[in-house]
Amino acid sequence: MFAATRLNRRSYRNQSVARAVFCLMTVALVIPVLLIVGTLVVKGGPAISWEFLFTPPRDNMTAGGILPALVGTVWLVVVALLASVPLGIAAALYLSEYAPDNLLTRTINLAIINLAGVPSIVHALFGVGAFVLFFRFGASILAASLTLAIMTLPVVIVATRESLQAVPQAFREACLNMGATRWQTIRKVVLPNSVSGILTGVILEVSRTAGETAPIMFTGATAFVAFLPESVFDQTMAMSYHLYYTATQATDVPEELTFGVALVLIGMVLLMNAVSIGFRVYLRGLKKW
Amino acid sequence: MKQIAQRIIPFIALTVAACGGGGDGSQRAVIQNRGSDTLLNVAQAWAEAYAAVNAKVAVAVTGGGSGTGISAMINGTVDIANSSRKMRESEIELARENGVEPVEFVVGYDALAVYVHEDNPIESLTLAQLKGIYGEGGTITQWAELGVSVPGCHSDEIVLVSRQNNSGTYVYFKETVLGDDAEYKLGSRDMHGSKDVVDLVENTPCAIGYSGLAYATEHVRMPCVTVEEGGNCVEPSVATAVSGSYPIARPLFMYTAGRPQGAVKSYMDWILSTDGQCVILERGYAPYTETECA
Repeated sequence: MFAATRLNRRSYRNQSVARAVFCLMTVALVIPVLLIVGTLVVKGGPAISWEFLFTPPRDNMTAGGILPALVGTVWLVVVALLASVPLGIAAALYLSEYAPDNLLTRTINLAIINLAGVPSIVHALFGVGAFVLFFRFGASILAASLTLAIMTLPVVIVATRESLQAVPQAFREACLNMGATRWQTIRKVVLPNSVSGILTGVILEVSRTAGETAPIMFTGATAFVAFLPESVFDQTMAMSYHLYYTATQATDVPEELTFGVALVLIGMVLLMNAVSIGFRVYLRGLKKW
Repeated sequence: MKQIAQRIIPFIALTVAACGGGGDGSQRAVIQNRGSDTLLNVAQAWAEAYAAVNAKVAVAVTGGGSGTGISAMINGTVDIANSSRKMRESEIELARENGVEPVEFVVGYDALAVYVHEDNPIESLTLAQLKGIYGEGGTITQWAELGVSVPGCHSDEIVLVSRQNNSGTYVYFKETVLGDDAEYKLGSRDMHGSKDVVDLVENTPCAIGYSGLAYATEHVRMPCVTVEEGGNCVEPSVATAVSGSYPIARPLFMYTAGRPQGAVKSYMDWILSTDGQCVILERGYAPYTETECA
């Protein structure tokens, strides 16, 4: 016969306590998110309208909308993606599929990890020195986007490499055994099977790119310009910098307008993420294993 | 993989097209304008109003502080730098070495008003009294010493409200009121913004503070300021800042890279015209010259 001893009961009690504590901690993680989104919706919700989204600011930022900032952020994100995604994927392909494990490869890996740890303000100053001054792009969308691209490159590389390595080795061997070259194997087998993981990296990059302020402050974002950008050499307003400006610099800005800007910025990132996640789920459906 | 590419490429193309769709091929001039945070709100108002005057010119305004604007001028990355202080000789030299000749324009004045609580009956202050209140070694610490008693201020002690030490306002007040070598008295509350100074004074009967006239509210009083004992007491106002009779008013500068030409010249001319000066007046700063506005 088995009867619970005192020791058993104590262990069981401890276990319940531990579970409750850890559960509480997990819930505590969600609270700030709910508070932030809730506050933004309550305080900024009334500001949101078609006019808010599709007209430029008026009356010294105290009225009107956010169109130039919204369009500017889309420009910055798209140009940054065009620069960093091909570069990041190519680098990850080389590191994962071709590179031998030697000192050079290990140094490159170390450099990528370090690049991910560099504070964004340092990237910003690097962007000023390299793109604005040395390459003479001036303060422009191009300079700002390239700065953002360099900042987010490690995210793309790491995510791509992880998903390439998640493709079973047997797939590659089967393909190579059919007489395919390494490149044919990558193109026909490895990439199609890892594209959903690569997209995850891109999703993370989009969120970070849209939200950063420091790297674009000196390289291409502007507090105010009355017109939409026409080329990558124009300066532009951006959502994150617009939020900073209306919250701290401009006078007499109604509170709901500032909260509205924050709400749209968060909404924009969530929307971009949702589109990419939907795309990713669809692609995963095509997967063969 | 090809299938995937076929799906991705139209998506990217669509996004780019959606954003670039606005361009009608017209050549638009862009003026880069960067610098002083004091001038930022005015510069923004100018850029906004100028869009209606000339739709072919886009003025991009960025803040960051006078120093940011000046170093951008030295590096040749801006057309117009905003500054609430004069460029130093050494900075002009640096710019010249890079082939940029900064040309100075005074575009307006910023009167620094002395603020007290609305219940404070004090009518006037001399510069010497201000120095005694704010300066290191100054002996004035009680309102009674200035000949007033402030209702609601039971301790009678003067609460000093000042600015953080990298503020242009802090530097200007120090140079003008305390003198070049003098320091501020310790124990002041140093606020991070012109608006914060006025907010604190509004709620503190014992307080005295200094800040731009543009930040005045209905719940504070601004005593007039006398240069010398027995002299004329001058109210802080746009008019007295323009005429130069108010002693603590500073010029606001814009620097252009070389003699302005083309779009920059038209813009500077417009800023210094009646239309442009009425915009700065509306924002609570003083025009550089007497201006009649509707």
